[in-house]
Amino acid sequence: MSKKRKQEISRREFLEGTGAAVIVASAAPALAAQVPAASAAASESSTVPRTTVRVIVNGTPRQIEIEDRWTVAELLRDHLGLTGTKIGCDRGECGACTVLLDGKPAYACSNLAAWADGRTIDTVEGLARGGQLSPLQQAFVEHDAPQCGFCTSGQLMTATALLAGTPHPTPAQVRAALAGNLCRCANYNRIVEAVVAAGSTTGRATQAGGAQ
Amino acid sequence: MKTFANANALDLRHAVTLAQQAHQDGRTASFAGGGSDLLALVKERMVTPDVLVNLKTIKGLNQVTSGKGGATIGGLITLDALGRHALVRRQWPLLAQAAESVATPQIRNVATLAGNVCQRPWCWYFRNGFPCLKNGGRTCFSVTGENRFHAIFGGGPSYIVHPSDVAPALVALDATFRIVGPAGERVLPAAEFFILPRQDAARENVLAHDEVLASVEVPAPRLGMRSTYHKVLDREAWTHAVVSAAVVLAIDNNVCHDARIVLGGVAPVPWRAHDAERVLVGQRMTPELAAKAGEVALAGARPLEKNAYKIPLTKSLVKRAVLALSALG
Amino acid sequence: MSQQRGGSSSAPIAPMKAIGHATPRIDAVERVTGQAIYTRDVQLPGMLYAQVLRSPHPHARIRTIDLSKARALPGVKAILTHENCQVVWGAGSISGGSQYNDQMKKITKHRRYAFNNPVRFVGDPVAAVAAVNRHIAEDAIQVITVDYEVLPFVLEPEDALKPGAPQIWSEGNVSPNNKNEIEPMTQRRGNIDEGFHQAAQVFEGRYTTAFCHNAQMEPRACVARWEGDTLTVYTPTGGISNCHHDIARDLGMPDEKVRVICQYMGGNFGNKNQNQDADLITAMLAKEAGAPVKLELSRKEDFIGMHGRWPTVQYYKVGVTRDGTVTAIQMRAYSGMGPYRKNSGGIAGIELYQCPNIESRIYPVYTNKTVSGNYRGPADPQGYYPIQSMMDDIAYKLGMDPIEFILKNMVRQPPNATFTNYTLDECIRRGAELFDWKKRWKPRPGSDPGPIKRGAGVAFMAFRSGVGMSSAVIQVDATRRYTLFVGVTDVGAGAKTTMDIIAADELGVAVSDVKVVWGDTDRCPYSVGESGSRTTIMTGRAVIEAARDLKRQIAAEGWPTGDAVLTASASPNPKTPGQVRNCFGANFVEVEVDVELGDVRVLKYLTVHESGRIINPLTATSQIKGGVGMGLGMALHEDMLYDRRTGRPLVTGYYFDRVPTHRDVPDIEVTFIETDDGYGPYGAKSIGESGMIQTPAAISNAIFNAIGRRMTDLPITRDKILGALA
Repeated sequence: MSKKRKQEISRREFLEGTGAAVIVASAAPALAAQVPAASAAASESSTVPRTTVRVIVNGTPRQIEIEDRWTVAELLRDHLGLTGTKIGCDRGECGACTVLLDGKPAYACSNLAAWADGRTIDTVEGLARGGQLSPLQQAFVEHDAPQCGFCTSGQLMTATALLAGTPHPTPAQVRAALAGNLCRCANYNRIVEAVVAAGSTTGRATQAGGAQ
Repeated sequence: MKTFANANALDLRHAVTLAQQAHQDGRTASFAGGGSDLLALVKERMVTPDVLVNLKTIKGLNQVTSGKGGATIGGLITLDALGRHALVRRQWPLLAQAAESVATPQIRNVATLAGNVCQRPWCWYFRNGFPCLKNGGRTCFSVTGENRFHAIFGGGPSYIVHPSDVAPALVALDATFRIVGPAGERVLPAAEFFILPRQDAARENVLAHDEVLASVEVPAPRLGMRSTYHKVLDREAWTHAVVSAAVVLAIDNNVCHDARIVLGGVAPVPWRAHDAERVLVGQRMTPELAAKAGEVALAGARPLEKNAYKIPLTKSLVKRAVLALSALG
Repeated sequence: MSQQRGGSSSAPIAPMKAIGHATPRIDAVERVTGQAIYTRDVQLPGMLYAQVLRSPHPHARIRTIDLSKARALPGVKAILTHENCQVVWGAGSISGGSQYNDQMKKITKHRRYAFNNPVRFVGDPVAAVAAVNRHIAEDAIQVITVDYEVLPFVLEPEDALKPGAPQIWSEGNVSPNNKNEIEPMTQRRGNIDEGFHQAAQVFEGRYTTAFCHNAQMEPRACVARWEGDTLTVYTPTGGISNCHHDIARDLGMPDEKVRVICQYMGGNFGNKNQNQDADLITAMLAKEAGAPVKLELSRKEDFIGMHGRWPTVQYYKVGVTRDGTVTAIQMRAYSGMGPYRKNSGGIAGIELYQCPNIESRIYPVYTNKTVSGNYRGPADPQGYYPIQSMMDDIAYKLGMDPIEFILKNMVRQPPNATFTNYTLDECIRRGAELFDWKKRWKPRPGSDPGPIKRGAGVAFMAFRSGVGMSSAVIQVDATRRYTLFVGVTDVGAGAKTTMDIIAADELGVAVSDVKVVWGDTDRCPYSVGESGSRTTIMTGRAVIEAARDLKRQIAAEGWPTGDAVLTASASPNPKTPGQVRNCFGANFVEVEVDVELGDVRVLKYLTVHESGRIINPLTATSQIKGGVGMGLGMALHEDMLYDRRTGRPLVTGYYFDRVPTHRDVPDIEVTFIETDDGYGPYGAKSIGESGMIQTPAAISNAIFNAIGRRMTDLPITRDKILGALA
């Protein structure tokens, strides 16, 4: 794939990823952020093994050339501009990078992008639909589930999968399902409250977003 | 991360061939099942493969196939699927319990049965890259160091404990392991798969570098058989067993006819407590007998400076596991 | 607005319009949609990636560094070592360990450079590389060869003071104070000998607390960009103002040439109200390479390279009369600072008691572990736990209910001053009632039959809520839209939202009518920085003053028209002469201890806090809950262990640190007693740190009540419990 083509796709992907936002950060100064850096890395020597994979990211089929050593987290963050997926440990010990692989929570840091070939990847950017937060996201807002927010994307993804299979979980079920998502702000009570609350709204609505 | 090529295996033979080809070209290869543990080691450059042979692309190795004599469980079944499998839960509950106790949901969703059995130790010296026996060095740092989580049985010269939860369960079930390599297949009892450091301190099992643990065979439960996996974690989730007890008992009319007690977290291999099993067989199940089994199971334990607490801990755990099974009427 | 000064004030406070109502964070949507841009998410065109090579030795002199192979790698753009970069990280080592400033820069002798030689702990930076991608940068540090002369090392503070111990600095291993005197931190009150003379019994104890890492979810990171001689730094800092001054001072630049931006950060918990060595290293790499550079520390690097709560060893001697009145408290203690004095090494707790005769000596000691620093209540939980364990123990030995003992001996008046208000009695009495203390507490500790035994414990606190200087700017335009400029970054405590609520209430508009601008030194005025639980108090007060000024301007000049705006600013610097301002609280906990397995489970956790007026009950409650959850980790799990033979760290990430998970933290019940002492914004006091500081003491006391064994070393792990019961 040409450098230019890749940039375009990445840019589009980014816009799709964040286009669902309902409210825009009011006061953020213009960060030059959000420019995918895929092109910089692409210039490296041809000895680095590369592969083309097909994945469906937040509902959009994609064909992407990757380095074999890229993790899913690296693909999403550095090359698709989907920085909502956070890296807290890069070793499968914290859960901040949780995404859904074929609908199931997985650590994006601990899976190679090459292994995701032919699969669906859902990230936090895909939870809101049509400008509406998912009921779970809404519950996170109302119940103050994010403190610093760095673990939030991962908590949301794991909880989204939980609600898809168990629409009305008990607090104990939430704790068990989210045991692989650390929150160092230790805001666990709030996160559990939010997931339980999302579960007690209509069952159908809670299944929206991400899990397929 | 170090550069490597991912190679998708079509079947087991292909996987082995891919590894062999790499070796013939003077390159190193590693097999990746779920790959969580392997990737962590690659990121730390403790393993530096040129080729990662991806086993996930092999079809059909993630199934439980039941037959007359028991079941064959594919090595690539995820721990999540294993823990949820209805037949496994009904016939070998300890195996499901062990699978459910591993790490976190995210890891269980990708980690495999074979990967759990074959994962490297979680000793903090090894994982932090100390030049220890497991990292190709000449010493086990735990002997004079921080050994709270280390072995009380079977140690020396390395004192790691085997990290797998499903391994003690499989040994307690008298499972057999099917291994595929360049020379074809070989089958051996689960207990013979694991090796003590005094046999080879750099490894935890008999797998050669171009062999794959393909599947395990679990015999059908005997009459009156019941089983449980009791695990002590160091927080409520996501630690390996501080100690664990995989217990399989055949009980009829409150009398124990057969027993397997295999301990995790106490030795470099799943540690079978033969003497404790003998204490139970032919006896009526009572709290006193369960306590005695715990006492006997820990006879001969040789603690290091900071892990003597594992002795009373494991005694209690064995007692409780045995009692829990005898209470199932 | 009712204002009460002094006395026991918990009279009902007047309700307000926005203040006191649960308000979701104004940036919550960004946080739940993945739009919030953290430092690691910043990507700039042409940006390079950096990696740091760190010392594998606890103490070593670098003879030579061979960079030839690294330089030869295609894509490597810049390499720094101590040979070509002599930038001093001022905030990284300060005589006395207080806030870094121009004066302290002159005084400090034991300087920490961005790259040090000799290296003094495993993790001390040796070299840094910038390359076109992260993999090449990582490959490059692998091929840098360093020839070290390995030096003797010492890990434990008491060992470091023994004769013949390795000397980390030529002046010895006691870290000098802010006058460069080699003296312990000493506090005396009354006459200690007289106090022991009055006592009927004297009790002694030795307690230790562990080295615990802040372990915030976002590992440190930095993105630096130069445009001519102007530097922009994106970095996770809780204090953009201090970080900004520190970077300019360390790099010898005028303040106006440096811009610091922090829009979102993944947790603070201390050590972030200044610059980081990562900021300096990234800035210098960017300069050298002539391109923007991003440095992302790994989790392991964040653990071994960057600070944790100082470990302590504490010896106490306490005298009491027959009726349980404490007459003397003597304490000698050692804090392990690592090889640089990042922060004070202080140990709090003695001030919690009214005792007239006190003597304490605390030695801040250099060791070859990772540098210690501030962590949520820097001096507090590791001091509260020992002294409140000592006192709890004495209560049992005298046959007293611990609550009765606390009420008899707790502080009621600070030395030579009064409190602005005082509610400690009420916190303890209300909590005991809500908790049903009489029912849950066992008069005979360990009396449950087992193997699962229950017990209850209590701890209390009186924590600083001082007022001070901070600034705010508010504008209104012709459409009557307000913009509030505050130099907060919002570490997770909700500062942006708190400031918005305060402004809205004072201006008489809705929270959504005020736009908040934060986290950028080019746009925001000075803010005190989110450390010391003081942003709400200090910056909140500035917001009120600025809003009042704006209202005056509108009244005098009318609303602005056309493109005009009205701007008001305030930098109040209030004082509390002759008065000490504290928040107060008490924690009650019931645990279950499995005496055969050594498991500790927290069954019930109840807190009562008086933090003045609560601006936003939603986020305030989250702060307390989170503080308790973090304290639970400190009480039961977290311990940055080192291998004594090699001096290398073993706990280098979340797995080995056993940070509490969803399953470890119980429901935490939070009750606020609201007051208004007339200071701060409408009486608001500190919250952020106070939630954590009582937890280890309360849990340890509950464990004693359950099993009848006093646990004297944190963390209270299974091996210690089973050892004590053996």
